[in-house]
Amino acid sequence: MIPWLAQAPAAPALNMWNAPAGTPEIWMKVGIAMLAGFGLLAALIAAPTRLRRPISGAFIFLAGLFWVLVFLFPKPIDSQTPHEQRPRGFVQDVSFWLADAIPVVSNFSNILTAFILGLGVFSLVRIHLMRVAKKQNDWPFSVVLLVSMVAMATFGYWDWKTRLDLGGAKVDEAWPLAAYGKDLLFDGMLQVMEAAMFSLIAFFILSAAYRAFRIRSVEATILLCAALIAMLNLMGAVVVTWDGMIESFGKDNAFVMNFTLSSVAGFIRDNLQTPGIRAIDFGIGLGALAMGLRLWLSLERVGGN
Amino acid sequence: MANEKTIWEKLQAIDRRVLYTLLMVIATVSLFFKVNVPTKPGQPTKDLYRLLVDDEALPEGSTVILQSDWTQSTRGESAGQMEALLRILMRRNIKFALLSVADPQAPLVARNVIRAINLERKAKNQREYQVWEDYVNLGYFPNAEGTSNAIAANFKTAVAGRKETPPGSATPLDVFQSPVLSKVSKVEDVPVYINVTGSKTSNILIERLGGRVPFAALVTGVMGPETLNYYQSGQVKGVAIGLNGVAEMESLMEKGLVETGKPEVKSFAGETNYGRGMAYYLALHTCLVLMIVAVVVGNVAMVAARKKK
Repeated sequence: MIPWLAQAPAAPALNMWNAPAGTPEIWMKVGIAMLAGFGLLAALIAAPTRLRRPISGAFIFLAGLFWVLVFLFPKPIDSQTPHEQRPRGFVQDVSFWLADAIPVVSNFSNILTAFILGLGVFSLVRIHLMRVAKKQNDWPFSVVLLVSMVAMATFGYWDWKTRLDLGGAKVDEAWPLAAYGKDLLFDGMLQVMEAAMFSLIAFFILSAAYRAFRIRSVEATILLCAALIAMLNLMGAVVVTWDGMIESFGKDNAFVMNFTLSSVAGFIRDNLQTPGIRAIDFGIGLGALAMGLRLWLSLERVGGN
Repeated sequence: MANEKTIWEKLQAIDRRVLYTLLMVIATVSLFFKVNVPTKPGQPTKDLYRLLVDDEALPEGSTVILQSDWTQSTRGESAGQMEALLRILMRRNIKFALLSVADPQAPLVARNVIRAINLERKAKNQREYQVWEDYVNLGYFPNAEGTSNAIAANFKTAVAGRKETPPGSATPLDVFQSPVLSKVSKVEDVPVYINVTGSKTSNILIERLGGRVPFAALVTGVMGPETLNYYQSGQVKGVAIGLNGVAEMESLMEKGLVETGKPEVKSFAGETNYGRGMAYYLALHTCLVLMIVAVVVGNVAMVAARKKK
């Protein structure tokens, strides 16, 4: 089988795509990969418009084919079986090759995703720099964004480097400027603002529940009752009090015990809510499968095509 | 005054600013009271507690993989879950390998919680958890699906190249040389895989780990119903859902677990068990009461207004 996706079986777990950190070999490989990437991008840009779609379609098909094979092909019993002890035969060879290649291909997708993050940063910086340069509407907000971004990246990297050089414990004891800056910006500002933003949802939920939960129809009444029981069941004090009251009526009476709040809420959860969500998930799964097939086989229609 | 609204009509259309103010005041005031509200833990939380504390399910001193996929946006629920989980793991000397796939901020947020629990232990003259010896940080992996596939296929190669600096050393070493991961090469080598998440990464993991390892999840209230699907099918061995789940976990830590036909699971009585879960639990109660009252008032006013007409 083709060896260039397989991981070396023994430590250090290296393959033709990686090398020990900090060695000239890894820098050479990074350089070659960058050149190849830019070359491929240039070729794609230079290619006639009608050829771009088949080229990208071929890449998508190959990338998808790997995971389809991983999912459908028989799996090896233990993918970490040493090479010399592995059973021989076409099916076994393919299944071991696929299992060996998964971490490598996953690393490819991790790197691609990291590039997407980088692309997002690039796009954000470009748009806001242009807005500042042209003094467009609300440009001071763009300045705040850019300054925040640079400050966070600077202090984050500085703190990371200090911790790497001194060790985390020493940094926590000495608390240098890098740690102080990172702590102020990340923990003191960003994290708190993020939590505050998310907590706003509570206000909208309350307002929406007050306006929407009205018993205007039978269905709405059923929904309201179920929601009320679910909400009451989230309140430990109510559950303990109600269930205790029911238990005092007849702890040994199975029929009476059906009326404990936890039993009623459990019945709704196990027999109505969860199966309902399962059905929705099943529908979403089928839809995702259909959409995935269309994307994989390049059957999606492009606008104007 | 034909256009003047009746009291019932007014109660049907309470200004949202009034509701917002009420919620803000009630939530804030509730946080000032330290009350141990009683709880009645549900079966998913009981199963999670049994999985984490029972020595047969998770032997003392063993290693677990802890995937932390939450940030401050779900702090109200996830931070309490993480704290309760870490308290249990540290008290049982369970080593853990920490990784994140959901958000680049997640590893740093998790490290902050570890530091907070370590400070709590230091204040009680208990042993602090040391990086390298007791836990390693594998960092952030930007592709949840791909990383989960790789972990399921071959854990060792999936996280190959990740390094951590042992205390007292200046040179970072491969994490698989650490006491935490020295005996782990595949995901089946750990007794439990734990995911604390504010998103659907638990679903992604369950779909890809496919029963290779007992899986436990601590999820937000929003993700709870979806995760219960996998709990019902047995693919998740235990779940703590939302703030209610945290309060239940803390209550079990304080009181232990006694279930008919099953061995008793010990408590951690005398330790700091009630934390963020119980601190916020009263606020959850009062806010839910406000919501129920608001809904009831709206409906009563609607029915009364209709009758009057």
